[in-house]
Amino acid sequence: MASLATACRLSARLASRKVTQDVAARGFRTSAASLAAQNFTMPALSPTMTEGNIASWKIKEGDSFSAGDVILEIETDKASMDVEAQDDGILMKITQGDGAKGVQVGARIGVLAEAGDDISSLEMPADNSKPAPPKEAKKEPESAQPKEEKKAAGSSSPKKSGQKAAPQKYPLYPSVEHLIKENGLGESAISEMTPTGPQGRLLKGDVLAYLGKVTGDRPAEIAKRFEHNSHLDLSNIKIAKAAAPAGAAKKDAVAEAPKDLQISLSVSLASVIEVQKRIESTIGTFMPLSTFIARAADVANDELPLPSNYKPSADELFNQVLGLNTVSPKVSRGYYLPQIAALPPSSFTGVAPKPKASQMDIIDFLASGTKKSTKTAPKQQASGASSISTGSNTFTLTVPPAEQKRAQAFLSRMKTVLENDPGRLVL
Amino acid sequence: MLASRLISRTAARSAFIKQSSLPTIVSPSTRWRRGYASQTEEKDLVIIGGGVAGYVAAIKAGQEGLKVTCIEKRGALGGTCLNVGCIPSKSLLNNSHMYHSILHDTKNRGIDVGDVKLNLDAMMKAKDTSVSGLTKGIEFLFKKNGVEYIKGTGTFASENEIKVALNDGGETSVVGKNILIATGSESTPFPGLEFDEERVITSTGALALKKVPESMIVIGGGIIGLEMGSVWSRLGAKVTVVEFLNQIGGPGMDNEVAKSIQKLLKKQGMEFKLGTKVVSGDKTGEKIKLEVDSAKGGKPETLDAEVVLVAIGRRPYTAGLGLENIGLELDDRGRVVIDSEYRTKHSHIRCIGDCTFGPMLAHKAEEEAVAAVEYIKKGYGHVNYGVIPSVMYTHPEVAWVGQNEQELKAANIPYKVGNFPFSANSRAKTNLDTDGMVKMLADPETDRLLGCHIVGPNAGEMIAEATLALEYGASTEDIARTCHAHPTLAEAFKEAAMATYSKAIHY
Repeated sequence: MASLATACRLSARLASRKVTQDVAARGFRTSAASLAAQNFTMPALSPTMTEGNIASWKIKEGDSFSAGDVILEIETDKASMDVEAQDDGILMKITQGDGAKGVQVGARIGVLAEAGDDISSLEMPADNSKPAPPKEAKKEPESAQPKEEKKAAGSSSPKKSGQKAAPQKYPLYPSVEHLIKENGLGESAISEMTPTGPQGRLLKGDVLAYLGKVTGDRPAEIAKRFEHNSHLDLSNIKIAKAAAPAGAAKKDAVAEAPKDLQISLSVSLASVIEVQKRIESTIGTFMPLSTFIARAADVANDELPLPSNYKPSADELFNQVLGLNTVSPKVSRGYYLPQIAALPPSSFTGVAPKPKASQMDIIDFLASGTKKSTKTAPKQQASGASSISTGSNTFTLTVPPAEQKRAQAFLSRMKTVLENDPGRLVL
Repeated sequence: MLASRLISRTAARSAFIKQSSLPTIVSPSTRWRRGYASQTEEKDLVIIGGGVAGYVAAIKAGQEGLKVTCIEKRGALGGTCLNVGCIPSKSLLNNSHMYHSILHDTKNRGIDVGDVKLNLDAMMKAKDTSVSGLTKGIEFLFKKNGVEYIKGTGTFASENEIKVALNDGGETSVVGKNILIATGSESTPFPGLEFDEERVITSTGALALKKVPESMIVIGGGIIGLEMGSVWSRLGAKVTVVEFLNQIGGPGMDNEVAKSIQKLLKKQGMEFKLGTKVVSGDKTGEKIKLEVDSAKGGKPETLDAEVVLVAIGRRPYTAGLGLENIGLELDDRGRVVIDSEYRTKHSHIRCIGDCTFGPMLAHKAEEEAVAAVEYIKKGYGHVNYGVIPSVMYTHPEVAWVGQNEQELKAANIPYKVGNFPFSANSRAKTNLDTDGMVKMLADPETDRLLGCHIVGPNAGEMIAEATLALEYGASTEDIARTCHAHPTLAEAFKEAAMATYSKAIHY
């Protein structure tokens, strides 16, 4: 029940938004007419609503309200709903009091003034919002649609009223503007015209119909014809031959969003630390571990395999089509930065693994390049960052699935660079 | 103590020398491998046919993020339009027009030309260059939008699977959640005259004749017949057009415009036999003989020509598609039966373009392609069939959009007419190209534009303005009150609008 009530209330708010447009539209008007108070008419709270009862006004005559305030409660045969204000304003007059029964949609139930207006000096507007006949009232919520062909034949008098048109969001057509100026029509007249053009645009014929210069329903008739012509004629299809009954149809589907992958690799920093010590002891400079890692990442990012969803540039594609470059790019520079975490201490004793033979060669080579005399054994010492183990660390990348290979290549290169010949990183 | 706190580090690019010992895990790029769709992978959309309908749908679907495959058996994308239709014919039309102008229309312009010779081979080569450039361009767009392109012939194996006999040999199959049939159309043959594309030709053969024939009969005075007839007439053939109906240009062309263009084409040397029926043909002799009969029952006649172009229309092409395997229906004219959202009776299989209903026009197919993909992706698409322009690229061109006078008359719809001749237009005057007129039809009361018909220089470009006006529900006054640059041919368009709602200034 509660959810039903909420739904009703929501729809009431939506519906009243359209219907109380004449209130909301006031703000855009600068002509003298806008200083007059506005009629507040019975809103259609559902597409089928033709009339309703006023349960109670929540605001007294002369009181001001702000946007969102409940102005009154309306009962229909289905539910009772609150009507909320769209704008700030003053309730100037109530013409249909509490308990009024069977009020037609579109009939005046009150008069609203703008916030700050002096209601004592304001003129009461004429009640020109005559309730629409029930047949027409049914169509009221659709009045923004251009194809409102069927109108009561009697309503084709020169000055029609009660037809609420969506405000023209587009610049007026030159012919429309010309006719309006020529006939001295105001903004209010425009809102009373029934647009029959595409997307609710106001056409020359609509103005002429409003002015009574052409038959009132002429523009709508033409619009109907255009609407008819705009479709493929699929009537009277003569099937050539009988066919077997169709199987079950498949639902259209859209690809789901892929999840990111986490790729990690364990990398030993032992040889890095070793080189670090060596450099410190030989030339007296302390190279922070981060420098090694940053440079290793820089090297490893070079010429990575393309992600599987790689989008080649227009030039590459065009060259391919023309057969100019037989070798399409297979590699590109990456922009990865690994996240580094030490392996749990239990899995590692804290003693650096012995460097491999090949590593020794490089270090010997490096050492011979500088000073041979210093050949101290690596000492165990806490590294700068407490979270980085001198032994194995986990390097992790989080990447989209398309880049899995690319990220793996990056990590394995990081491993090679850092484990085998970190010395080259700082030379 | 050694808590595994995560640290991310920033790397600055250093000028480190590239290491050769780095491991490279570079797999060969599989992206451009073509035609080997794995059987397991299901595509969002499989399109059969890479013509205008198919390739536009493929690109649009790629842009919408669908996994899409396009199957085309021609070996080149673009379909009839690009390979043997609109595009090559425009190349020949433009170049033959230049040749014709140089031959006949230079003296009074103050240009003395010497010996003018036609090099047909070079003219055909220019055409082929344009065509191959454009088809390659589509291939490029396929790559750009991630469309898989399979060169082969597709056949329905089941409602979701299409078997493809590859052009390079072998077979593969693709599975699609959605399937789009866009197989297009082919020339309707004339019973009793078999196509050999050398003497009895379709429009395809007319684009590739090895020499200019002495005489040519065109059966069918529609747009294709008149365009190709124009080409060979300009290059020196004696062209006779035989048309069953009493007007040229097909049923959509306005009567008044059709008469006017017929007069102009006759002046260029084309002969017309209207209201004439071709009874039979005989191609055994040195020349092809046609027995013709007046449609109204006049005296029979025998015509002969070196080449006969059959241009009596096109019919949907669905042969070999295996529609019967999945029970899809065709109508009595061979069109695939669809609903308003292009769905066949299997709602995941849609059909657009020439092989289904509506006018057989490339731009109509293009609109449908976008709409069909939008229906698949977004659930709503739209084509305004009331506002589809038609253009005939003769000289002068003929173009129209909306309803014509005879249609309005037949439907008892009141209208008013406004005309403006190009002979009163300053730009046409200076171009010495003053044949033709702009004709507008509008509602007499509300002035809403109902149709526009142009015969004249650049009509095909000018019709875009009328199409826009119709799409927006404009009145002729709206057009007339819109500024048009001076001196342009488009001023004739504006003046015709003025003539419709009040009076033209310059006429």
